[in-house]
Amino acid sequence: RGCSEGSAPSTAPPRLLPADKVRHKPALTQEKLEGVTTASTFVLDQPRCVFNNYSTAVIWLVVALDKDAYAFNNSAGPGTNETAFQRFPDPVHAYMTLNVTLNSYPCPKPAGDITVLRVGSETSCAQDETRPTCNGPLPGPGPYRVKFLALEGSVPVAETYWSAPITLRTAKSPNSIPTTSSGHSAGMIAITTILSILFAILLAGLVAMLVFWGSDSCGSSTFGKQESVSVRRYNTHHVYDQPAARL
Amino acid sequence: MAKSDDCVHILQGLLVFGNVVIGLCGIALTAECIYVVSNSDGPYPLLKATENRDIHAAAWIGIFVGLALFALSILGIIGVVRASRTLLLVYIILMLITFAFEMASCITAATHQDSLTPDLFLKQMLERYQKSDPNKNSDNEVTKTWDELMRQNHCCGVNGPSDWQDYMSAFRLTHSDADYPWPRMCCVLDAQGSPVNLDGCKLGVSGYYNSNGCYDAISGPVNAHTWGVAWFGFAILCWTFCVLLGTMFYWSGIEY
Repeated sequence: RGCSEGSAPSTAPPRLLPADKVRHKPALTQEKLEGVTTASTFVLDQPRCVFNNYSTAVIWLVVALDKDAYAFNNSAGPGTNETAFQRFPDPVHAYMTLNVTLNSYPCPKPAGDITVLRVGSETSCAQDETRPTCNGPLPGPGPYRVKFLALEGSVPVAETYWSAPITLRTAKSPNSIPTTSSGHSAGMIAITTILSILFAILLAGLVAMLVFWGSDSCGSSTFGKQESVSVRRYNTHHVYDQPAARL
Repeated sequence: MAKSDDCVHILQGLLVFGNVVIGLCGIALTAECIYVVSNSDGPYPLLKATENRDIHAAAWIGIFVGLALFALSILGIIGVVRASRTLLLVYIILMLITFAFEMASCITAATHQDSLTPDLFLKQMLERYQKSDPNKNSDNEVTKTWDELMRQNHCCGVNGPSDWQDYMSAFRLTHSDADYPWPRMCCVLDAQGSPVNLDGCKLGVSGYYNSNGCYDAISGPVNAHTWGVAWFGFAILCWTFCVLLGTMFYWSGIEY
Protein backbone atom coordinates (compact mmCIF):
# COMPACT_ATOMS: atom_id res chain seq x y z
CA ARG A 1 0.00 0.00 0.00
CA GLY A 2 1.41 3.41 -0.97
CA CYS A 3 2.43 5.48 2.04
CA SER A 4 4.43 8.61 2.20
CA GLU A 5 4.39 9.07 -1.57
CA GLY A 6 0.80 10.02 -1.20
CA SER A 7 1.55 13.24 0.62
CA ALA A 8 3.56 14.80 -2.13
CA PRO A 9 5.75 17.86 -1.52
CA SER A 10 4.10 20.88 -3.03
CA THR A 11 7.07 21.71 -5.24
CA ALA A 12 6.78 18.54 -7.30
CA PRO A 13 4.75 18.81 -10.52
CA PRO A 14 1.37 17.16 -9.77
CA ARG A 15 1.23 15.10 -12.93
CA LEU A 16 4.17 12.95 -11.98
CA LEU A 17 2.72 11.69 -8.72
CA PRO A 18 -0.40 9.55 -9.01
CA ALA A 19 -3.01 9.97 -6.32
CA ASP A 20 -3.41 7.16 -3.82
CA LYS A 21 -6.08 4.67 -4.59
CA VAL A 22 -8.20 4.41 -1.47
CA ARG A 23 -9.96 1.10 -1.11
CA HIS A 24 -13.49 2.36 -1.40
CA LYS A 25 -16.04 2.00 -4.13
CA PRO A 26 -18.79 4.58 -4.04
CA ALA A 27 -22.21 3.05 -4.36
CA LEU A 28 -25.87 3.88 -4.15
CA THR A 29 -26.95 3.95 -0.57
CA GLN A 30 -28.13 0.76 1.03
CA GLU A 31 -30.67 2.63 3.16
CA LYS A 32 -34.32 1.93 2.40
CA LEU A 33 -35.18 5.22 0.76
CA GLU A 34 -37.92 5.72 -1.78
CA GLY A 35 -35.84 8.24 -3.67
CA VAL A 36 -32.58 6.29 -4.03
CA THR A 37 -32.79 7.05 -7.71
CA THR A 38 -35.21 9.42 -9.31
CA ALA A 39 -35.30 10.77 -12.83
CA SER A 40 -32.56 13.32 -12.17
CA THR A 41 -31.01 12.56 -8.78
CA PHE A 42 -29.44 9.68 -6.97
CA VAL A 43 -28.29 9.06 -3.44
CA LEU A 44 -24.80 7.84 -2.44
CA ASP A 45 -23.47 6.73 0.88
CA GLN A 46 -21.10 9.26 2.36
CA PRO A 47 -17.44 8.20 2.28
CA ARG A 48 -17.05 7.85 6.04
CA CYS A 49 -13.77 6.56 7.46
CA VAL A 50 -12.29 6.47 3.97
CA PHE A 51 -10.01 9.48 3.79
CA ASN A 52 -8.72 9.28 7.35
CA ASN A 53 -5.12 9.91 6.37
CA TYR A 54 -5.85 13.05 4.43
CA SER A 55 -7.22 15.31 7.07
CA THR A 56 -6.25 18.51 5.28
CA ALA A 57 -7.68 17.53 1.92
CA VAL A 58 -10.90 18.70 0.33
CA ILE A 59 -13.04 15.82 -0.88
CA TRP A 60 -14.74 16.31 -4.22
CA LEU A 61 -17.24 14.16 -6.02
CA VAL A 62 -16.54 13.50 -9.68
CA VAL A 63 -19.54 12.59 -11.81
CA ALA A 64 -19.06 11.31 -15.33
CA LEU A 65 -20.98 9.44 -17.95
CA ASP A 66 -20.17 5.77 -17.93
CA LYS A 67 -18.43 5.90 -21.27
CA ASP A 68 -16.28 8.88 -20.34
CA ALA A 69 -15.28 7.79 -16.87
CA TYR A 70 -11.89 6.33 -17.54
CA ALA A 71 -10.88 9.29 -19.66
CA PHE A 72 -11.07 11.60 -16.64
CA ASN A 73 -7.82 13.22 -15.69
CA ASN A 74 -7.34 13.73 -11.95
CA SER A 75 -5.46 16.92 -12.50
CA ALA A 76 -8.45 18.66 -13.98
CA GLY A 77 -9.20 21.50 -11.64
CA PRO A 78 -12.61 21.91 -10.10
CA GLY A 79 -14.57 25.03 -10.84
CA THR A 80 -13.04 25.49 -14.27
CA ASN A 81 -14.69 25.38 -17.63
CA GLU A 82 -13.47 21.84 -18.13
CA THR A 83 -15.36 20.58 -15.11
CA ALA A 84 -18.33 22.95 -14.94
CA PHE A 85 -21.65 21.32 -14.22
CA GLN A 86 -23.54 23.63 -16.53
CA ARG A 87 -21.57 22.36 -19.54
CA PHE A 88 -22.16 18.70 -18.74
CA PRO A 89 -22.45 16.30 -20.61
CA ASP A 90 -21.37 18.09 -23.69
CA PRO A 91 -18.66 19.40 -24.04
CA VAL A 92 -17.71 18.64 -20.46
CA HIS A 93 -17.48 14.89 -19.90
CA ALA A 94 -17.14 14.89 -16.14
CA TYR A 95 -17.90 17.52 -13.54
CA MET A 96 -16.83 17.99 -9.97
CA THR A 97 -19.10 19.00 -7.16
CA LEU A 98 -20.01 18.52 -3.50
CA ASN A 99 -16.71 19.72 -2.12
CA VAL A 100 -16.34 19.32 1.62
CA THR A 101 -13.56 18.98 4.15
CA LEU A 102 -13.08 15.83 6.09
CA ASN A 103 -14.95 17.37 9.05
CA SER A 104 -18.15 16.77 7.16
CA TYR A 105 -17.52 13.05 7.11
CA PRO A 106 -16.66 12.31 10.73
CA CYS A 107 -15.50 8.85 11.54
CA PRO A 108 -16.94 6.62 12.93
CA LYS A 109 -20.44 7.02 11.64
CA PRO A 110 -22.97 7.26 14.47
CA ALA A 111 -25.24 4.24 14.48
CA GLY A 112 -28.77 4.96 13.36
CA ASP A 113 -27.89 8.09 11.42
CA ILE A 114 -28.67 8.25 7.77
CA THR A 115 -25.49 9.55 6.16
CA VAL A 116 -26.10 10.07 2.49
CA LEU A 117 -25.29 12.44 -0.30
CA ARG A 118 -28.00 13.44 -2.72
CA VAL A 119 -26.48 14.12 -6.10
CA GLY A 120 -28.62 16.50 -8.10
CA SER A 121 -30.42 18.31 -5.33
CA GLU A 122 -29.44 21.91 -6.09
CA THR A 123 -31.81 23.33 -8.63
CA SER A 124 -31.18 27.01 -7.99
CA CYS A 125 -27.74 27.07 -9.61
CA ALA A 126 -28.38 24.59 -12.40
CA GLN A 127 -28.30 27.33 -15.05
CA ASP A 128 -25.92 29.66 -13.22
CA GLU A 129 -22.58 29.65 -15.02
CA THR A 130 -20.95 31.47 -12.11
CA ARG A 131 -21.43 28.35 -10.02
CA PRO A 132 -19.57 25.65 -11.93
CA THR A 133 -19.44 23.37 -8.91
CA CYS A 134 -23.20 23.27 -8.62
CA ASN A 135 -24.73 19.98 -7.53
CA GLY A 136 -27.38 20.30 -10.18
CA PRO A 137 -29.94 17.75 -11.38
CA LEU A 138 -28.55 15.26 -13.84
CA PRO A 139 -29.58 15.82 -17.41
CA GLY A 140 -30.47 12.30 -18.39
CA PRO A 141 -30.92 8.76 -17.20
CA GLY A 142 -27.20 8.01 -17.56
CA PRO A 143 -25.65 5.57 -16.82
CA TYR A 144 -23.20 7.54 -14.68
CA ARG A 145 -20.14 6.69 -12.70
CA VAL A 146 -18.86 8.61 -9.69
CA LYS A 147 -15.75 8.67 -7.59
CA PHE A 148 -14.40 10.70 -4.73
CA LEU A 149 -11.25 12.70 -5.21
CA ALA A 150 -9.23 14.28 -2.39
CA LEU A 151 -7.37 17.44 -3.36
CA GLU A 152 -4.87 19.35 -1.30
CA GLY A 153 -4.79 22.73 -2.89
CA SER A 154 -4.95 21.69 -6.50
CA VAL A 155 -3.00 18.47 -6.06
CA PRO A 156 -4.92 15.20 -6.13
CA VAL A 157 -3.75 13.13 -3.23
CA ALA A 158 -6.24 10.32 -3.02
CA GLU A 159 -9.08 8.88 -5.00
CA THR A 160 -11.54 6.05 -4.68
CA TYR A 161 -12.45 3.54 -7.32
CA TRP A 162 -15.05 4.44 -9.86
CA SER A 163 -18.49 3.25 -8.85
CA ALA A 164 -20.53 0.75 -10.80
CA PRO A 165 -22.69 2.37 -13.49
CA ILE A 166 -25.70 4.11 -11.98
CA THR A 167 -28.80 4.33 -14.13
CA LEU A 168 -31.58 6.71 -13.23
CA ARG A 169 -35.28 6.16 -13.62
CA THR A 170 -37.06 6.91 -16.86
CA ALA A 171 -40.64 8.05 -16.86
CA LYS A 172 -43.09 6.42 -19.25
CA SER A 173 -45.86 8.31 -20.91
CA PRO A 174 -49.27 7.98 -19.26
CA ASN A 175 -50.64 6.93 -22.60
CA SER A 176 -48.98 3.61 -22.04
CA ILE A 177 -51.41 2.87 -19.22
CA PRO A 178 -54.03 0.49 -20.56
CA THR A 179 -57.51 1.89 -20.15
CA THR A 180 -59.52 -0.80 -21.88
CA SER A 181 -61.31 -2.87 -19.34
CA SER A 182 -59.52 -5.99 -18.33
CA GLY A 183 -62.52 -8.18 -18.71
CA HIS A 184 -65.42 -8.72 -16.42
CA SER A 185 -65.27 -9.89 -12.88
CA ALA A 186 -66.82 -13.13 -11.74
CA GLY A 187 -69.43 -11.23 -9.77
CA MET A 188 -70.75 -9.36 -12.74
CA ILE A 189 -70.92 -12.49 -14.86
CA ALA A 190 -72.73 -14.33 -12.07
CA ILE A 191 -75.29 -11.56 -11.66
CA THR A 192 -75.95 -11.37 -15.38
CA THR A 193 -76.28 -15.10 -15.89
CA ILE A 194 -78.42 -15.83 -12.90
CA LEU A 195 -80.75 -12.91 -13.45
CA SER A 196 -81.18 -13.76 -17.12
CA ILE A 197 -82.10 -17.33 -16.25
CA LEU A 198 -84.55 -16.23 -13.59
CA PHE A 199 -86.15 -13.76 -15.93
CA ALA A 200 -86.47 -16.37 -18.65
CA ILE A 201 -88.14 -18.79 -16.24
CA LEU A 202 -90.61 -16.11 -15.18
CA LEU A 203 -91.44 -15.27 -18.77
CA ALA A 204 -91.96 -18.93 -19.53
CA GLY A 205 -94.21 -19.18 -16.50
CA LEU A 206 -96.22 -16.20 -17.66
CA VAL A 207 -96.63 -17.67 -21.11
CA ALA A 208 -97.71 -20.99 -19.62
CA MET A 209 -100.23 -19.19 -17.44
CA LEU A 210 -101.79 -17.35 -20.34
CA VAL A 211 -101.82 -20.40 -22.60
CA PHE A 212 -103.60 -22.50 -20.03
CA TRP A 213 -105.96 -19.72 -19.03
CA GLY A 214 -109.22 -21.04 -17.95
CA SER A 215 -108.44 -24.71 -18.52
CA ASP A 216 -108.34 -26.79 -15.40
CA SER A 217 -106.70 -29.59 -17.24
CA CYS A 218 -103.71 -29.44 -14.93
CA GLY A 219 -105.80 -31.23 -12.38
CA SER A 220 -104.30 -29.30 -9.53
CA SER A 221 -106.54 -28.75 -6.64
CA THR A 222 -108.70 -25.84 -7.43
CA PHE A 223 -109.82 -23.66 -4.65
CA GLY A 224 -112.59 -21.22 -4.71
CA LYS A 225 -113.06 -17.94 -3.07
CA GLN A 226 -113.58 -17.64 0.57
CA GLU A 227 -117.32 -18.05 0.31
CA SER A 228 -118.04 -21.71 0.65
CA VAL A 229 -120.29 -23.52 -1.75
CA SER A 230 -123.40 -24.87 -0.29
CA VAL A 231 -124.30 -28.32 -1.40
CA ARG A 232 -127.82 -29.33 -1.42
CA ARG A 233 -128.47 -32.63 0.12
CA TYR A 234 -131.43 -34.39 -1.11
CA ASN A 235 -133.42 -36.37 1.33
CA THR A 236 -135.68 -38.87 -0.23
CA HIS A 237 -138.43 -37.68 1.93
CA HIS A 238 -137.79 -33.97 2.32
CA VAL A 239 -136.31 -31.26 0.19
CA TYR A 240 -134.36 -28.77 2.21
CA ASP A 241 -131.08 -26.89 2.12
CA GLN A 242 -128.30 -27.94 4.26
CA PRO A 243 -125.32 -25.72 4.42
CA ALA A 244 -123.40 -28.62 5.70
CA ALA A 245 -120.81 -29.39 3.17
CA ARG A 246 -117.99 -27.00 3.05
CA LEU A 247 -115.01 -27.49 0.91
CA MET B 1 -111.05 -30.77 0.96
CA ALA B 2 -110.14 -29.37 4.30
CA LYS B 3 -106.56 -30.23 3.66
CA SER B 4 -106.62 -28.35 0.40
CA ASP B 5 -108.17 -25.46 2.27
CA ASP B 6 -105.18 -25.49 4.58
CA CYS B 7 -102.85 -25.57 1.59
CA VAL B 8 -104.60 -22.55 0.18
CA HIS B 9 -104.27 -20.70 3.42
CA ILE B 10 -100.62 -21.60 3.73
CA LEU B 11 -99.92 -20.50 0.17
CA GLN B 12 -101.82 -17.29 0.69
CA GLY B 13 -99.97 -16.68 3.91
CA LEU B 14 -96.64 -17.28 2.23
CA LEU B 15 -97.48 -15.02 -0.64
CA VAL B 16 -98.62 -12.25 1.67
CA PHE B 17 -95.47 -12.63 3.69
CA GLY B 18 -93.38 -12.60 0.52
CA ASN B 19 -95.06 -9.45 -0.67
CA VAL B 20 -94.56 -7.76 2.68
CA VAL B 21 -90.86 -8.49 2.45
CA ILE B 22 -90.77 -7.19 -1.10
CA GLY B 23 -92.49 -4.00 -0.02
CA LEU B 24 -90.02 -3.42 2.79
CA CYS B 25 -87.05 -4.18 0.54
CA GLY B 26 -88.45 -1.78 -2.03
CA ILE B 27 -88.43 1.00 0.54
CA ALA B 28 -84.91 0.06 1.60
CA LEU B 29 -83.72 0.02 -2.00
CA THR B 30 -85.20 3.45 -2.61
CA ALA B 31 -83.58 4.85 0.50
CA GLU B 32 -80.22 3.36 -0.39
CA CYS B 33 -80.30 4.63 -3.95
CA ILE B 34 -81.27 8.11 -2.79
CA TYR B 35 -78.24 8.01 -0.52
CA VAL B 36 -75.96 6.94 -3.37
CA VAL B 37 -77.32 9.62 -5.67
CA SER B 38 -77.01 12.41 -3.18
CA ASN B 39 -73.72 11.44 -1.58
CA SER B 40 -71.35 13.79 -3.30
CA ASP B 41 -68.45 14.06 -0.91
CA GLY B 42 -65.34 11.99 -0.71
CA PRO B 43 -63.86 10.68 -3.91
CA TYR B 44 -66.96 11.44 -5.89
CA PRO B 45 -65.35 14.28 -7.92
CA LEU B 46 -62.84 11.75 -9.19
CA LEU B 47 -65.67 9.60 -10.43
CA LYS B 48 -67.34 12.57 -12.02
CA ALA B 49 -64.09 13.34 -13.79
CA THR B 50 -63.89 9.87 -15.23
CA GLU B 51 -67.11 10.78 -17.02
CA ASN B 52 -68.56 7.45 -16.14
CA ARG B 53 -71.96 8.08 -14.71
CA ASP B 54 -73.26 4.54 -14.87
CA ILE B 55 -73.50 4.20 -11.15
CA HIS B 56 -75.71 7.28 -11.16
CA ALA B 57 -78.02 5.81 -13.77
CA ALA B 58 -78.21 2.53 -11.91
CA ALA B 59 -79.05 4.34 -8.68
CA TRP B 60 -81.78 6.43 -10.31
CA ILE B 61 -83.37 3.31 -11.75
CA GLY B 62 -83.09 1.78 -8.30
CA ILE B 63 -85.10 4.60 -6.74
CA PHE B 64 -88.03 4.09 -9.06
CA VAL B 65 -87.84 0.34 -8.92
CA GLY B 66 -87.96 0.49 -5.14
CA LEU B 67 -91.10 2.59 -5.19
CA ALA B 68 -92.67 0.34 -7.80
CA LEU B 69 -91.89 -2.72 -5.74
CA PHE B 70 -93.56 -1.18 -2.73
CA ALA B 71 -96.71 -0.28 -4.67
CA LEU B 72 -96.87 -3.62 -6.42
CA SER B 73 -96.43 -5.52 -3.19
CA ILE B 74 -99.55 -3.86 -1.83
CA LEU B 75 -101.38 -4.77 -5.03
CA GLY B 76 -100.14 -8.30 -4.67
CA ILE B 77 -101.35 -8.62 -1.10
CA ILE B 78 -104.79 -7.39 -2.09
CA GLY B 79 -104.88 -9.72 -5.08
CA VAL B 80 -103.87 -12.76 -3.06
CA VAL B 81 -106.30 -12.11 -0.25
CA ARG B 82 -109.20 -11.50 -2.64
CA ALA B 83 -108.06 -14.32 -4.96
CA SER B 84 -108.77 -12.08 -7.92
CA ARG B 85 -107.40 -13.34 -11.20
CA THR B 86 -107.36 -9.97 -12.88
CA LEU B 87 -105.52 -8.23 -10.08
CA LEU B 88 -102.96 -10.98 -9.87
CA LEU B 89 -102.42 -10.99 -13.62
CA VAL B 90 -101.82 -7.26 -13.59
CA TYR B 91 -99.55 -7.74 -10.61
CA ILE B 92 -97.50 -10.43 -12.34
CA ILE B 93 -97.06 -8.48 -15.55
CA LEU B 94 -96.07 -5.25 -13.79
CA MET B 95 -93.71 -7.16 -11.55
CA LEU B 96 -92.01 -8.68 -14.57
CA ILE B 97 -91.47 -5.23 -16.03
CA THR B 98 -90.04 -4.03 -12.72
CA PHE B 99 -87.87 -7.14 -12.58
CA ALA B 100 -86.44 -6.29 -15.99
CA PHE B 101 -85.58 -2.74 -14.95
CA GLU B 102 -83.97 -3.80 -11.72
CA MET B 103 -82.00 -6.42 -13.62
CA ALA B 104 -80.66 -3.67 -15.88
CA SER B 105 -79.74 -1.58 -12.86
CA CYS B 106 -77.86 -4.41 -11.16
CA ILE B 107 -75.90 -5.35 -14.24
CA THR B 108 -75.02 -1.71 -14.91
CA ALA B 109 -73.80 -1.22 -11.37
CA ALA B 110 -71.71 -4.39 -11.47
CA THR B 111 -70.17 -3.48 -14.82
CA HIS B 112 -69.40 0.00 -13.61
CA GLN B 113 -67.62 -1.36 -10.60
CA ASP B 114 -65.44 -3.48 -12.87
CA SER B 115 -64.40 -0.45 -14.82
CA LEU B 116 -62.99 1.39 -11.81
CA THR B 117 -59.53 -0.07 -11.96
CA PRO B 118 -56.46 1.52 -10.39
CA ASP B 119 -55.20 2.25 -13.90
CA LEU B 120 -58.20 4.42 -14.61
CA PHE B 121 -57.54 6.63 -11.62
CA LEU B 122 -53.81 6.59 -12.25
CA LYS B 123 -54.20 7.89 -15.75
CA GLN B 124 -56.64 10.56 -14.64
CA MET B 125 -54.37 11.66 -11.81
CA LEU B 126 -51.29 11.88 -14.03
CA GLU B 127 -53.12 13.85 -16.68
CA ARG B 128 -55.03 16.23 -14.48
CA TYR B 129 -53.39 16.72 -11.11
CA GLN B 130 -51.87 20.20 -10.83
CA LYS B 131 -52.55 20.83 -14.45
CA SER B 132 -52.40 24.58 -14.46
CA ASP B 133 -55.11 25.26 -16.98
CA PRO B 134 -57.34 28.03 -15.67
CA ASN B 135 -60.11 27.25 -18.15
CA LYS B 136 -60.87 23.75 -17.10
CA ASN B 137 -62.59 23.86 -13.76
CA SER B 138 -62.83 20.12 -13.52
CA ASP B 139 -59.04 19.84 -13.35
CA ASN B 140 -59.03 22.07 -10.30
CA GLU B 141 -61.63 19.79 -8.79
CA VAL B 142 -59.42 16.82 -9.42
CA THR B 143 -56.42 18.58 -7.88
CA LYS B 144 -58.35 19.66 -4.82
CA THR B 145 -59.84 16.21 -4.38
CA TRP B 146 -56.46 14.53 -4.62
CA ASP B 147 -54.87 16.99 -2.20
CA GLU B 148 -57.65 16.39 0.31
CA LEU B 149 -57.45 12.64 -0.24
CA MET B 150 -53.69 12.51 0.26
CA ARG B 151 -53.80 14.72 3.31
CA GLN B 152 -56.62 12.96 5.07
CA ASN B 153 -55.64 9.39 4.32
CA HIS B 154 -51.86 9.86 4.56
CA CYS B 155 -51.33 8.31 1.18
CA CYS B 156 -49.61 9.26 -2.07
CA GLY B 157 -50.58 8.60 -5.66
CA VAL B 158 -52.68 5.62 -6.68
CA ASN B 159 -50.17 2.85 -6.10
CA GLY B 160 -47.57 4.85 -4.19
CA PRO B 161 -45.10 7.75 -4.65
CA SER B 162 -43.39 5.78 -7.39
CA ASP B 163 -46.31 6.66 -9.67
CA TRP B 164 -44.80 10.11 -9.98
CA GLN B 165 -41.44 8.65 -10.92
CA ASP B 166 -42.61 5.91 -13.25
CA TYR B 167 -44.77 8.11 -15.42
CA MET B 168 -44.67 11.55 -16.95
CA SER B 169 -47.44 13.77 -15.68
CA ALA B 170 -48.90 17.25 -15.87
CA PHE B 171 -47.44 17.77 -12.43
CA ARG B 172 -43.96 16.92 -13.69
CA LEU B 173 -44.21 19.57 -16.41
CA THR B 174 -44.40 22.35 -13.85
CA HIS B 175 -42.42 20.89 -10.98
CA SER B 176 -38.85 19.70 -11.41
CA ASP B 177 -38.00 16.19 -10.46
CA ALA B 178 -35.14 17.19 -8.17
CA ASP B 179 -37.28 19.55 -6.08
CA TYR B 180 -40.49 17.56 -6.26
CA PRO B 181 -39.92 13.87 -6.76
CA TRP B 182 -43.55 13.64 -5.61
CA PRO B 183 -46.05 16.30 -4.59
CA ARG B 184 -45.66 18.06 -1.26
CA MET B 185 -48.94 16.55 -0.15
CA CYS B 186 -47.17 13.20 -0.04
CA CYS B 187 -44.96 14.50 2.76
CA VAL B 188 -45.88 14.14 6.40
CA LEU B 189 -47.25 17.56 7.23
CA ASP B 190 -47.32 19.44 10.48
CA ALA B 191 -50.26 21.36 11.87
CA GLN B 192 -49.58 24.34 9.63
CA GLY B 193 -49.53 22.22 6.51
CA SER B 194 -45.84 22.33 5.72
CA PRO B 195 -43.61 19.27 5.56
CA VAL B 196 -42.10 18.16 8.84
CA ASN B 197 -38.78 17.40 7.15
CA LEU B 198 -38.58 18.47 3.54
CA ASP B 199 -35.25 16.81 2.82
CA GLY B 200 -36.42 13.61 4.42
CA CYS B 201 -39.53 13.75 2.29
CA LYS B 202 -37.57 14.32 -0.91
CA LEU B 203 -35.22 11.49 -0.09
CA GLY B 204 -38.06 9.21 0.80
CA VAL B 205 -37.09 8.48 4.38
CA SER B 206 -39.84 6.49 5.99
CA GLY B 207 -41.67 8.56 8.56
CA TYR B 208 -41.40 11.76 6.57
CA TYR B 209 -43.44 10.79 3.55
CA ASN B 210 -46.56 8.74 2.83
CA SER B 211 -45.56 5.50 1.24
CA ASN B 212 -48.92 3.84 0.53
CA GLY B 213 -51.14 4.43 -2.42
CA CYS B 214 -54.57 5.99 -2.19
CA TYR B 215 -56.40 3.41 -4.24
CA ASP B 216 -57.84 1.69 -1.18
CA ALA B 217 -59.15 4.97 0.13
CA ILE B 218 -60.88 5.64 -3.18
CA SER B 219 -62.21 2.23 -3.95
CA GLY B 220 -63.56 1.60 -0.47
CA PRO B 221 -66.49 4.03 -0.50
CA VAL B 222 -67.10 3.59 -4.21
CA ASN B 223 -67.26 -0.16 -3.88
CA ALA B 224 -69.61 0.15 -0.95
CA HIS B 225 -72.03 2.18 -3.03
CA THR B 226 -71.81 -0.06 -6.03
CA TRP B 227 -72.12 -3.32 -4.17
CA GLY B 228 -75.04 -1.88 -2.27
CA VAL B 229 -76.93 -1.17 -5.44
CA ALA B 230 -75.87 -4.25 -7.37
CA TRP B 231 -75.97 -7.03 -4.80
CA PHE B 232 -78.87 -5.82 -2.75
CA GLY B 233 -80.85 -5.50 -5.95
CA PHE B 234 -79.80 -9.02 -6.86
CA ALA B 235 -81.00 -10.36 -3.52
CA ILE B 236 -84.34 -8.61 -3.92
CA LEU B 237 -84.72 -10.06 -7.37
CA CYS B 238 -84.08 -13.59 -6.19
CA TRP B 239 -86.72 -13.22 -3.52
CA THR B 240 -89.12 -11.64 -6.02
CA PHE B 241 -88.55 -14.57 -8.35
CA CYS B 242 -89.75 -17.00 -5.70
CA VAL B 243 -92.77 -14.89 -4.83
CA LEU B 244 -93.71 -14.52 -8.49
CA LEU B 245 -93.47 -18.25 -9.09
CA GLY B 246 -95.70 -18.82 -6.09
CA THR B 247 -98.14 -16.22 -7.35
CA MET B 248 -98.27 -17.82 -10.79
CA PHE B 249 -98.98 -21.17 -9.21
CA TYR B 250 -101.65 -19.61 -7.02
CA TRP B 251 -103.16 -17.81 -9.99
CA SER B 252 -103.44 -20.93 -12.07
CA GLY B 253 -105.37 -22.57 -9.31
CA ILE B 254 -107.97 -19.90 -8.78
CA GLU B 255 -111.43 -20.64 -10.03
CA TYR B 256 -113.05 -17.87 -11.92
